[in-house]
Parts: sequence; C-alpha cells; structure tokens
Amino acid sequence: MKPAISIIRSSAGASPVAIALGLAVLAGLFLFPQFVQSPYALHIMILIFLSVIMGEAWNVIGGYTGQYSVGHAAYFGAGAYTTMILLQYKQISPWYGALAGIAVSLVVSLIIGSICFRLRGPYFVLASIAVAEIMRLSAMNLKDLTNGAEGILITEIPHLKFGDTLITDFLTKVPFYYIGLVIAIVTILVTWLMQNSKLGYYFQAIREDQDAAHSLGISLSLFKSSALAISAVFTSLAGSFYAIYIGFIDPPTVLALDISVQIVLICIIGGIGTIWGPVVGALVLVPLSEALRSNMIAQGIFKIGLASEESGVGIFLKEHLSHAHALIYGILVVVVILFMPDGVLGWAKKLAAKKGKE
Amino acid sequence: MLVFMQSLISGILIGGVYALIGIGLTIIFGVMRVINFAHGDILMIGMYMTYSLFTFFGIDPFVSIVITIPLMFMFGAFLQKVFINRMQGALPQNQILLTIGLGMIMSNTMMLAFTSDYKILSTDYSSSSIKLAGISISTPLAISFLITAAITAMLYWFLLKTDTGQAIRATAQDREAAQLMGINVKWMSILAFGMGSALAGTAGALISPTYYIFPQIGSTFTLKAFVITVLGGMGSIVGATIGGVIIGIAESVSAVYISSGWKDVVVFVLFLLVLLFKPAGLMGKSRM
Repeated sequence: MKPAISIIRSSAGASPVAIALGLAVLAGLFLFPQFVQSPYALHIMILIFLSVIMGEAWNVIGGYTGQYSVGHAAYFGAGAYTTMILLQYKQISPWYGALAGIAVSLVVSLIIGSICFRLRGPYFVLASIAVAEIMRLSAMNLKDLTNGAEGILITEIPHLKFGDTLITDFLTKVPFYYIGLVIAIVTILVTWLMQNSKLGYYFQAIREDQDAAHSLGISLSLFKSSALAISAVFTSLAGSFYAIYIGFIDPPTVLALDISVQIVLICIIGGIGTIWGPVVGALVLVPLSEALRSNMIAQGIFKIGLASEESGVGIFLKEHLSHAHALIYGILVVVVILFMPDGVLGWAKKLAAKKGKE
Repeated sequence: MLVFMQSLISGILIGGVYALIGIGLTIIFGVMRVINFAHGDILMIGMYMTYSLFTFFGIDPFVSIVITIPLMFMFGAFLQKVFINRMQGALPQNQILLTIGLGMIMSNTMMLAFTSDYKILSTDYSSSSIKLAGISISTPLAISFLITAAITAMLYWFLLKTDTGQAIRATAQDREAAQLMGINVKWMSILAFGMGSALAGTAGALISPTYYIFPQIGSTFTLKAFVITVLGGMGSIVGATIGGVIIGIAESVSAVYISSGWKDVVVFVLFLLVLLFKPAGLMGKSRM
C-alpha cells in the first residue's frame, strides 16, 4: 500500500487540470482498441509502447545513474531468446518464459556490471558494446541452442485460459495492445517511484559526481548494479514481448548494435533523465520511422509535387527510401545533440519558459 | 607448423591494414579527445569511392588511393569543421552520440545511393596468390600491406620530423599549453580529423578488393578500430600500429584453430581482458 499512498501524496502537488488530463489520456488509451479496429494503428501503438518500455528502462541506468550503456541489446536479446527457446523447444508458456528471461537478464547484468563498472566514461561505453557483441556472436554460433543466423520462428502462441474459460487466443493485436500498455505504465510508474526514492537520489548522486558520492558512503558497485538490474528487467521484458508479438527473432533483429543505439536514441531525443523524455522520444521516433518504412514520405513528396512518381527520381525514392528508414534516426540525433542537448522535452520547456518571460 | 606460419603471415598482412584504421582513430582521439564512432563508416565511404572509381573509370583500386586520400581528407576536415568542432569540450557521451548519428547518416545515404546489395570489386589479381616456401600469400593482401607500410612510415616521418607534425603531437599532449605556445589548435584539430579520415578511407580502399562492400560494414570496423586503439593505448600511434598487427594475428590464428565464427568473439574477449587488467593499453597512456 505504501507506494499507492505516496503516489496520492506526491500527486497532491500536481494541478487538478494536469491530473484530470492524465486520467483522460489513460482512459483514452484503455478504450482505444474499442474505437479503432485498424490493425496498422494498433501496430503503431504497440511499437510506441515497446519503445517507451525500452527507453524508460535505459533511462534508469543511462539517464538517472549516468552510465551510458550502449549494449542494452544484450538484455533485450536475452529476454527474447529465453522466451522463444523455452516456448519453441520446451513448450513453456511465454508468461513463464518472460520471467525466465528476466532471471537470465539479471544474471547477465551482474556479469556485465562486474566487468564494466570498474571502467568509466568512454571505456565503459566500449566495454558495454563489446559484451553485447559477444552475446550476438555467440547467438550466431551456438546453433543447437539458438538456431544460429536462421533465427527462431514461432507459429502458434498458447491460448491464455483462466481455469477452463478462454480469455484470449492472441489472434488479433488487441491482447498485445493491452499487455504492452500495462507493461509501459508499470515501467513509467517504477521509474517515477524510483526517482522520488532514496535509491533514485543515490543514482543521481552517482551521475553527478561518482567520487563525491563514493566519499559520502554510497557504494558505487552496489547502486550501479542495482540501477543496471532494474534497467535489465524491463529491457528483457520488452525483448520477450517483442519476440512473442513479432513471432520471429534472429541475432541481427534482437542482439545487434543497432538495437542498443535505438534504445539510447529514444531517451536522447526525448530528453534524458526525465520521466516523460522516453515517452516523447517514442512518440517522435516510432511514427517517423514507420512513415519512412511504409513509404509515406515518398508518397508525400509526390503529393506536394517535389518529384513525380514516374520520373527516375520518383521510382528511386519509392524503391529505396523505405530501406533507409534509419536515416531519419541519424539526422534526428545530430540535430538533437547539436541544437537541443536536453532533448525535445527540454527544448520545449525552455521555449515555454522564454515565452512566459516575454 | 606450416599451417601456423600460414595463419601468422596472413594475420600480419591484414594486421597492417588494421593498424592503419587504428592509427586514424588514435590520432583523432589524441588531438581532439573525441571517440569517433563513425570511423568504420568513413572507411566504408572509402570502399565505395574505390568501388565507383573502379567500376565507372576503370581505375585500379591500389592506384585510386591517390584520389581517395585527398578526397577523404577533405571529407574529414569538413566533418570536423561543421559538426565535431561544435562539440569540443561537451560531455563525452554526447560526442559519442553525435558521431554515431553521423555514422548512421553516412551508411544510410550510401544505402540510398548504392542499395544494400553486396558489391564485389574483382580485379584480375583478386584471387591470385604468391607461393613462398610452401606458404601462399594473397596478392591483393600483400600489395595492400606494402602500401600500408609505406604510408605508416611516411606518417611517422611527418609526425616526428616536420613542424606541423610536432604541432599535432604537442596539441595531443596538452591542448592548452600548445595553444599558449602559439599553435593554432583549431587548425590542428581539422588536420587531425582530416588525417584520421584519410587513413580510414585508405584502409577501406586497400581492403575493397578482398572484402564484400555494403553500407553496414562500417560498424564491424568501428568496433575493430576501438579494440586496436584501446589495446595499444588510446592516443598512442605506436600502440595502434602494434595493436593492429596483434588483432590481425589473433583473428587469423583463432580462425584456423577455433573456427571462423568465433574469431570475433576471441577479439572481443581479448579487448575486455585488456580493459580490465591494463586499461591504459600496452603502450601506456596517451602518448603520440
């Protein structure tokens, strides 16, 4: 009950308008599948939830504790692979599989922590990448366990039953929508609770000045490891969720450096070390990259008449722009780092403050 | 024994090219204290440049480096002047992210221009080899090693004997002191990034007859470049040269005795061990 009370207490500071607005958004999110049947819209929402989970999870170690891990694909992949292997070869339900994935990720996080937390700054970044790369290459090579480069494909997800009544058979995207939504909300809540707890203050003290924090009696290895563990749990959960939702995993899609970088970008673009930063990041990144992937940008260029669909340029754009959806990631990162070092959220706040002064 | 000698020699040959990649990264780090995550992507651009010169103009990849080197130098100088320079003194993580972003732009632009298909640059000597006392040496690798050795020698001479080279080393040792001595450190940074990019681009040109060319190849080489420079000690050119050869040998020997699938794992484990037990690298702390 304690957390619930503290939520009520702390939210007393928020304005009634903000609370009402928050509740309305929450209700809207829960009712969304009742009004929107389009599988594509649901798919986009699920991807946004997934990004929110990954972004918030990274935020705990990267944003609050200041340890820039660029190897979070390790936990994402550990969750995804554990769930899929258990489901495929042992017929164990993904619910337990996800828990097993969390256990594996916790072990991985302890190992990574014991190796990498002795290192600082750029060396830490490089070490975190190296560990994730070792995991990717191992997944490629341990063919008996992971099926190597061919990956694991599942055709059937066990139905969810309560006693004998069928709750869902996972044939539509709706159950995934709700699972994703709930995990995302839980992740945000956990981050929020952490931020306002003693633990969160320890983390932030380590981010601001490791040596000062250490001399005040904060155990660096203990709290860095705790932050990484919290982060690993939710990243792993996101990995399991992704694996079951997509139904197929292979080393390049769940363990590659790109995944680690994308996780970091969600935070950087939204705003690092803030509760809503990753949410903003996900809301910016997912629709943008989906628009590129589904060729909406190319269609848009044809519509406003920058190039005609039949011309050489048009055909080229139509064929290749969808493959280069990561281009927008790159451009966004460069723009954000150079011009909005606090992310979109921080930039918007500054803008609002400026307006308020005038 | 013959098998061992064979893998040792091919390791040294490829290690020469790795050294070139590592030296480029270490010069940039030494002078600017920026870890360039786009290093492999710059190398990839060098590969595509060589590929285009070969396919459209029929210029031999080893001859075309006289065009690639100045072009890549200008490209690097441009990157430094327009992007990296703004981040001087910013948080290291932000510098890292900036270069990651630049790398993504490079690889995706190349994907737009050349599609993500694997390209092969095949010359008439691509698969030929020289037999020497029972050991066969791939001709393109042997030529690229000789060119690498020549470039490295020239680079050492430039850094040790010329005024500009000494100014670069002074900037790497102590930026502020160098500035007080009247060295134009901004210009040195541009020069360093240009040289680093030219070296990466040259390495790309030299390996293009033996490797598949595709837009995402960069990250592999970025990681390799880090392993090499950390192994030798960040900022140390001698270290990067030795590190490159060590990694080349480690790869080729483990490919023969373990398996080619695990050779990169061996390299990364080696990397972690060095980070843990000798974080300053084999050659000590940032000395150029």
